[in-house]
Amino acid sequence: MTRYDILICGIGGQGAISLGTVLKLAAIRDGLGVAGAERRGGAQREGVVTSNVRYFEGRGESVSGLIPAAGARMMIAMEPLEALRQALYLNEGSVVVVNDFPLAPVHVRIGQYEYPSRETIYARLQEFTPHLYAFNIDEMSLNHFGSLRQVNTISLGMAFALGNMPVSRDSLLGVIRDRFPDFEANRKAFELGIEAAGKAPPL
Amino acid sequence: MKELALNEPGRTILAMGNDAVVRGGLEAGLGYFSTYPGTPASEIGEGYVSLKEEFPHIHAEFSVNEHVAAHGAQGASWAGVRSMTAMKHVGMNVAAEVLHFAAYTGVNAGFVVVIGSDPGATSSTSEQDDRWYSLHTHLPLLEPADIQEAKDFTKLAFGLSERYDLPVVLNAPSKLCHNIGSLSLGPLPAEFPSAGRFEKDPSRYINLFAGSVANHRRAMENAARLAAGAPSHGLNRVIPGTGPLGFISSSVNFLYLMEALAILGITDAPVMKLGMTYPLNTGEIAAFAKGLERIIIVEDLEGFLEFQIKSALYGAGVTVPIEGKSIFPPFGELDVDLIVRLLAERLKKPLPKAMSRSIELAAKHTADIPPRQGSFCIGCPHRATLYSVVKATGRNAVFAGDIGCYTLSCLPPFSAFDWVTCMNCGVGIGQGIRQVMKEGDMIAYVGDSTFFHSGVPGLINAIQQGASMVLMVLDNKWVAMTGHQPSPTTETDVDGRKLNPVDIKGLLKSIGIKYVRTVDPFNIKAATAAIKEALRQKEGVRVIIAEAECALQYGRRLRYEKPGYEVYYQIEPGICQKCDECYVHFGCPAIRRGEKGGAHYYYIEEASCLNCGACRDLCPNSAISRVEIKRGGKKEKAS
Ligand code: SF4
Ligand code: SF4
Repeated sequence: MTRYDILICGIGGQGAISLGTVLKLAAIRDGLGVAGAERRGGAQREGVVTSNVRYFEGRGESVSGLIPAAGARMMIAMEPLEALRQALYLNEGSVVVVNDFPLAPVHVRIGQYEYPSRETIYARLQEFTPHLYAFNIDEMSLNHFGSLRQVNTISLGMAFALGNMPVSRDSLLGVIRDRFPDFEANRKAFELGIEAAGKAPPL
Repeated sequence: MKELALNEPGRTILAMGNDAVVRGGLEAGLGYFSTYPGTPASEIGEGYVSLKEEFPHIHAEFSVNEHVAAHGAQGASWAGVRSMTAMKHVGMNVAAEVLHFAAYTGVNAGFVVVIGSDPGATSSTSEQDDRWYSLHTHLPLLEPADIQEAKDFTKLAFGLSERYDLPVVLNAPSKLCHNIGSLSLGPLPAEFPSAGRFEKDPSRYINLFAGSVANHRRAMENAARLAAGAPSHGLNRVIPGTGPLGFISSSVNFLYLMEALAILGITDAPVMKLGMTYPLNTGEIAAFAKGLERIIIVEDLEGFLEFQIKSALYGAGVTVPIEGKSIFPPFGELDVDLIVRLLAERLKKPLPKAMSRSIELAAKHTADIPPRQGSFCIGCPHRATLYSVVKATGRNAVFAGDIGCYTLSCLPPFSAFDWVTCMNCGVGIGQGIRQVMKEGDMIAYVGDSTFFHSGVPGLINAIQQGASMVLMVLDNKWVAMTGHQPSPTTETDVDGRKLNPVDIKGLLKSIGIKYVRTVDPFNIKAATAAIKEALRQKEGVRVIIAEAECALQYGRRLRYEKPGYEVYYQIEPGICQKCDECYVHFGCPAIRRGEKGGAHYYYIEEASCLNCGACRDLCPNSAISRVEIKRGGKKEKAS
């Protein structure tokens, strides 16, 4: 492994940047080099947010924080439309984990645009890569934990199970233990993600 | 202990570019720090303020504006203490007057100016390239390429500043300031000399007539000395290559360029990376240019390097074709993809297959999807205020916009905001328009922090000249847009500490405003009525203070100040007429749209709702109810 690039995309307030930070801290525990670029879209809420996570080997090396087009090995999308918005970074081998819980942007609410149907979004994404996995993670989190707080840890478990990432499970769990208040629930959420991913074929 | 404060040389931590600058200052033994927060540089100030316990001897402050901040840091340096001031690129315009004297007087201890620049205007109203300032301030300019260099260059800058008697500017774009990656720590000094004294030296500090000319001369000689010494500072380096085509770049663009060359399979090109981009050492660049058939310069914006390098090589008698802005646009932000594409075009190289496939697919599949713009946060008082402004005016007024979170008022669903340029452009431009626009209403906006930054002079002018407008002071108690630094009106810090807030109302009255009303923005009916009433008074400046704390800070406070009861807002499905008023025209993101049996309905997402109550107040059908329960008790309808 020389490079492994992960693109996380979501909406302001969904925690894309924190999830990126977890993946980066795990790399430091594992002695990998890590660079990244965060895009907050200048938005307080509801704007487009991305976090680029780039693992590389060799401490002296330096890579830029930005993933080039077709460069992402893994995409974690917190919303279907946002997965499509960032599809430029996917290639035929990319694995995509998407939270199948659409959120209408302001322009859809005020009637200037229509939100594309799920079928359209997923069919388009499948033209980029066959490794597309969609789960209603909001619902999973609500069912298992009674709140939406575990959504990102579940998706992390899924990405870990599906993506053959260079960071270790122990390091990811170690970071979660250090950073999140409720370790037990988050550990379970992580395992739940791994389990759900193991059962699901790509779309 | 916070990782940034660790004295464990060689340890690798995860850091944001701004954290790395903070650490560089610590490793250099900084004693004074001042800033006016501005994205992308805000976290530098937050860093020093949050380290007050670990480094109590460092004076760290959020100043009232960049001009004041720069003066303060200059003073500390004169008094012999290493100092730093940080600002966003446009802050340099406010600090420019101070910093045009900084090379004249020189320093008594390292003085570093950090500029967070913003090519692409990702969080700014302009993308001006501050690097050009150095051509007339004569302040040396360092451009780090990554997080490690952000720290290392900051530390080095203090030494250079002292050695050459010049303040040094560190320029980092948002794509470095906000990037998060690994950083290897260096040692912290054993001592932080933070007690200074001012030594009188009229020849340097009294800038008058011939003395000023002498200081100007010394500044330029210092810069020339530094240029001559440039090769020995290790800031510039050459990645060797045997090809006839060479590249020169700086900042993060250097890393983008290296990646682009790898993607295009160009492996033989020599590349010069400039870490110090003013003053340039002509000999160093001429040596690189020797034997090359062509040079391509890769940089953001209007070609600062290209301008200097062309002039330097021409002066040195080196003739080689140089391209830069003939390939790369002088506006917007470069990234790896853009560099790959434009170089491929210029050099007639094919793009890698996987890349062109994704580019083609993306062009076909992502061009028509709905955009996703930002909006006010859940429970944000500005949303409520704007809703009332729209209700009170029917958008039939001139809306004098300004800088702050409320700039989002220019977007739907509100669209009641007619311009935004620089700080305090609202009242400032508005009062000029008012002198010549005799008819109609004007509503001007200003936030608490923006007002204190530089709004008072403009407002005094408006009062004196009798400009007619309603000024909405959106007092949310924080510099919210840049990440919640305290503003002059902050009453209580999030940790519960009481601060010394400035009394805005008292200040407004003392400068001669007779009409001042304070409203609770969440009380939509009362706020709308107050705005209508203020509009009816036609004379002079009438002020409405919409006072309510920023929702995010309020939410943070709730975590430790739990009230004894819980409140819920609910939409009653039987009563709701789906009139869209709350979901579309108000647009709180906690109000969601669901679907059941082919029909849609609206509901409030309980976990996200901040209980501001505004939606309940504005629902024309009284369909939203408030439920109050004792902690741990049963839900009961209160109204
Ligand atoms: S404003 Fe009231 S009636 Fe209209 S959609 Fe909202 S809850 Fe329903
Ligand atoms: S009370 Fe209404 S407007 Fe306020 S946060 Fe909750 S849903 Fe949004």
